This record gives sequence, C-alpha cells and structure tokens, in this order.
Amino acid sequence: MYNLKELNNAQGRVRTIDIVKKGLNRRYRKERRFRIFGCAAVIISLSFLSLLFISIISNGYTAFLQTMVRLDVFLDTRVIDKDNLADANYSKLIHEALLSVYPDVTKHNDRRKLYGLVSTSAAYRLRTFVAKNRHDIGTRIQIWVPADDDVDMLMKGYIDRDTPESQRRIDDRQLAWVDQLVRQGQIKKVFNMTFFTAGDSREPELAGICGALFGSFYTLIVTLVLSFPIGGAAAVYLEEFAPKNRWTDIIEVNINNLAAVPSIVFGLLGLAVFLNFFGLPRSVPLVGGLVLTLMTLPTIIIASRSALKAVPSSIREAGLGIGASKVQMVAHHVLPQALPGMLTGTIIGMSQALGETAPLLMIGMVAFIVDIPSGFTDPSTVLPVQIYLWADSPERAFLEKTSAAIMVLLVFLMVMNGVAIFLRKRFEKRH
Amino acid sequence: MNQEQTTGHLPRRPGRRPLVERTERETVGQTAVENPRMSCQNVGVFYDSKKAISNICLDIGRNEVIAMIGPSGCGKSTFLRCLNRMNDTIEGCLVTGQILMDGKNIYDSDVDVVPLRAQVGMVFQKPNPFPKSIYDNIAYGARIHGLVQNRDETDELVVGSLKRAGLWNEVKDRLEMPGTSLSGGQQQRLCIARAIAVNPEVILMDEPCSSLDPIATAIIEELIDELKQDYTIAIVTHSMQQASRISQRTAYFHQGDLIEIGPTDQIFLNPLHQLTEDYITGRFG
Repeated sequence: MYNLKELNNAQGRVRTIDIVKKGLNRRYRKERRFRIFGCAAVIISLSFLSLLFISIISNGYTAFLQTMVRLDVFLDTRVIDKDNLADANYSKLIHEALLSVYPDVTKHNDRRKLYGLVSTSAAYRLRTFVAKNRHDIGTRIQIWVPADDDVDMLMKGYIDRDTPESQRRIDDRQLAWVDQLVRQGQIKKVFNMTFFTAGDSREPELAGICGALFGSFYTLIVTLVLSFPIGGAAAVYLEEFAPKNRWTDIIEVNINNLAAVPSIVFGLLGLAVFLNFFGLPRSVPLVGGLVLTLMTLPTIIIASRSALKAVPSSIREAGLGIGASKVQMVAHHVLPQALPGMLTGTIIGMSQALGETAPLLMIGMVAFIVDIPSGFTDPSTVLPVQIYLWADSPERAFLEKTSAAIMVLLVFLMVMNGVAIFLRKRFEKRH
Repeated sequence: MNQEQTTGHLPRRPGRRPLVERTERETVGQTAVENPRMSCQNVGVFYDSKKAISNICLDIGRNEVIAMIGPSGCGKSTFLRCLNRMNDTIEGCLVTGQILMDGKNIYDSDVDVVPLRAQVGMVFQKPNPFPKSIYDNIAYGARIHGLVQNRDETDELVVGSLKRAGLWNEVKDRLEMPGTSLSGGQQQRLCIARAIAVNPEVILMDEPCSSLDPIATAIIEELIDELKQDYTIAIVTHSMQQASRISQRTAYFHQGDLIEIGPTDQIFLNPLHQLTEDYITGRFG
C-alpha cells in the first residue's frame, strides 16, 4: 500500500510518476529474479547434457582403438598349397607362430590359453594376406593380427591386475605372456576400422556398427519417402481444402491422439498388418520403415498444419485476388512459405524414428544379424537396437562398444539435422 | 478534442429539403446507372446466419470511381468482397441476391471464380506482395492466366504495369529484390501494379491507403485518378476527404444497410439522409 499523504506534492495531488517510481525497484527485482531462474534452468539442462556426453565419450572412445599383436608367421609350404589357398589350415600357422614366441608352453590347456591371446579372426587375416602376397609363401613374414577382447581390455586398462586371479578374465600366466609381448614391442593400439566396416559379431573385437548403420539408413529412407509426402499432403488437405465440420474435427482429434500412442503399439500393429496379413519378411528395413512411418505421420501432420496455419492469410487473399485457383494459391504461395516449418516437423519426426527401438523389436529387427544389409529387404538391425543388444551382452568389451554406438547414433542424428537445417536455410533464403 | 468541433453541423443551405429520418433504412438516392459495369440486386451476406449486410441494390458504372464510406463494421468491405467473390474463402459465409456482370449473375453455380477474379481485381487494405521478387510479383498473374508467352512479353508487361503504377523509376534497378523489401507505400503500389498487370475490368480497393502516410496516399490517389480512364474502380475508404477527392459517386453504409448513394458532391455537401449527415459531419464514426 502506498502512503498517499507522503506522495502528495505541494498542490496536494498525487503525481502518477511518484507511484510509478515507488514500484520500480520491485519490478526490476522481479525481472532479475526471473532472469536468474531462466539462466539456472539453462545451466542445469546444459550440465545434464554435458554429463551425458562426458560419460558416453569417456566410456566409448577406447572402442575406436583396437589392440593388435605382431606375429612372425612362417608360411609353411607343407600347410599352404599354392593351388588351393582356401583349404589351408591358417589357424595352425598362427598357433605355431605363437608357440615359437613361447616355446616352453607344452601342456594342452596352457596352449589353448596361449592361442586365446589373439582373436579367432587372426586366421582370416592371415588368409587374406596370403591371397594378396602369394610370392611370400615359404618365407617368414610379420603380420599384425587383432588381440583377443580380454587382452584388448587389459591393454586399455579395464582389467585390474590386483584382483585375485580366480576373478580375473586373464590369469597370471597370460598376464606374463602379454607383458612379454609388450616388452618386445609386439603389441600396439591402432584405429579400429573393424568397428566401422563390420556387422555384428559374438566376438567383441570383430563386432562393428556398419550393419546397424546401414539398417538405420535404409529404414529412415523408407520412413522419409513415405511419411513426408503423405504427412505433408494430409496436412495441406486438412488445412487448406477440407471443410471445417464434425468429420474433420474427429480426424484432427484422432491425429493428435495417434501422436501420443506408445510406440510399441505401432510395433504390434506392424506385426499384425505388415507381417501377418501382408506377409512381408521379418527383420527388414522396409517393414521397419513402414512401422516408423505410422509412428511419425502424426508428428509431421501436426507440425505441418501449424506451419501452414502460420502463413498469413493475406498471402492467400493476394493469390486468390489475382485469380489463382486454390491449388495454384497453395502450391505457389502457401507451401513455399510453410515448407521450412514442415521440414522442421519432419526433422523432429525423423529424429524420433531414428531413436525408436520398441516397435522394431516387435517386427524382428532385434535379431542377431552379422551381414551388412545391401537393400530394403535384407534382414538388418538399426542403431538403437544394436545399442540395446550390445548393452545386454556380458563381455566387458561390449560396454565400450555400446557407448561408441551411442556416439555414432548421435553423429548420425547431427548429420541428419544438419542437412535438414541447411536445406531449410536455403529455402528460407530463396523467399 | 473540442466537443463542438466533432459534433458541429454543417450550416444548412437555404431551401434545403428536410432530411430523411434516422430510423429509415431504405436506400436514398439513385442506385441505378445507365449501362452499368456491375449491377447488384438485393445482395445480402450472412456469416453463420449472422447478418452482415442485407438488401443492397447498387449499380457500378463504367469507368467511374465509386467510394464506399461508413463507420467500422457497417459492411462496406463485406459488400466489396462480394464483387469478386472473395467472401467464398470465408468459412460459413452465405451470399444472397444477385450481382450481374455482363448480364450474368456471378454467383450462379456455373460461374468459375478464377476468370471472374481475373476480370475483377482486388487491392487489399494491408499491402500484401508475394514474398517473391518485384518482377515475379507482377508477372505472376499474367503467367498463370497465360497472358504472356515468353520472357520478352513478360518484361514488357512488368515494365508497363510498374510504369502505370508510378513505381518504375523507384524500382527499375532492383526488380530482383523481394517485393516485401519495399516501403509500405511502394508495396501498395506494387499490389496495384500486380492487379492491373492481368488487365482487369474492375478494380476493387479495400482501404488501400489506411496504412500509408499522406505522401504515399497522395501518390496512390493520383494513380487512381489516372486508372479510372481504363478501369472501373470501387474503393472502400475511411477517409471522407479521400472519397470526396477521388470518387464520382459515394455510397454510405450503416449497420449493414446501404443508406444513401449519390454523386459525391451531393453526399458531402447536401446529404439527404440524417444518418449520412451525422457521419460526414463527424457526429459518429
């Protein structure tokens, strides 16, 4: 309450400016408080985000490195038949190479442990090498082969040497062998190309993200190609052409409801309709894309409608007033104006689709698939499902792969959004 | 504001007939003209069964500027928008009566609004150029109607329209700039140029100067004066001075009724209806 008497000036009248001034401090305090709240909110959300990034990157960056072991292999002509390279026993050559480093290992069990230092893929590497270098057969060569995932974990410091031997994945003898390899310079860490070129595998050192990456790519292509035209056309029709009556009201309410339906329900729908009724194959990007289209459509329709609503009606009147037909008015004037907004809605929808796991589980995209899909009807998995699968695996090495896969997913997302923002900016500039 | 100024009466000229009572809602004055361009008969408009205008009879002559004045919400814009069926775009809008053009009711079910609107152009209250280049703004209408076949014809049309709208000298160096980058007055002239580029027979103007400063207004009024040689112009305006400057006939609307129609001089100097006099003397509105 104001003390009016105090505010009275010589003429005995209250001046408005005095009342205003009295309240000024309070108003500014309020403003400051609001700004502080706002800043705090931004800082909190940013810190959570950075926490997420820090934890993922610190867990996952090692997955981009792979421990390699150098072996001196004697390409014995008794083992390799020059005319029949495929049938040679390359594992035996690898084993002999290992034994030549540790000649004192004689017991069967110990030998198996010794052979376990390198990945089972070492033999394939050797075969590839021999196929490329036929003239080396009969000589002694040096080859870098991937280490086993346990050795890899040890080298990356994830295995604590102080834990009791019985609880360690690597026992004391293996530790000694590895240490000897390190001393002899026979172990190094290189960039893990396998991670980007291979499909999934039961062996962590052989598992790659490429299959899931392509699966996601094909799935999203299907989703984009279907959902943007359908969603856009539906939005344009509902917003610009449809009469406003009870039917369109019902349709609008239902679209809004669909946007809130749990995604697993769309998965079940896809399972029932696309797989059981139409008999489409399981685990394929085509069906995944169809299911994600169902899920993405409401988002795109709602965003597109609000983008269309935001186009000023004066533009519509201008078009009609000059004698444009309704379709011309929409196509020439309204759509170009609304397109950036429609694209934004599509980006949001596609980002949701990229991160969606649940509906894809229902149509079998959770299967363990080693091959990299080469088309829309090849069995495949997608990035988030791959993350789910790896997070579920018992091997320690899959932990870092999980984080690395999340990083790949985020980069995929950023690239996708970047392209869309670029397109949108270009479109905005043209008008 | 001084009260006496706003409600003061014009001095009645001697020998003047008594005014028609305020309660009387029949149209006063000569609604018909010889050889009209458009002829409205008993036009009524309802928005969701709410009456906006009713029972309007009015002829629009050839090569005349007819002004429509009246207080806000009196239905003058609604009436204007009937003339090229722009009211069709409003949900729940119903138009009754007849508007004849070349002997044909434009509200007949077999009338196509697209050629109608090419014939009856419109300039809106707020300048609304397309968010395209100045060139494309002008060329658009002619392109969709197929009035131009090639680039040369289009160039000629654009230059001609801009010259007629008195905008050429100001924009000749920047035809590729967006139309929205012009000033308000230039934008409105661009809209007029856009309207005349499709060579309509009637141009409807819905308060074209309401958002412009006096200088831009003067330029547009001059333009209207020139255009009337080739076109019929129906203009809605809030400015009585503007109506008296540019129009030959003036129609006064009040609460959805056409109260009085007559030569502009007569309406402003010697109105027959009490409501008209109230309005032009500033008693309300």
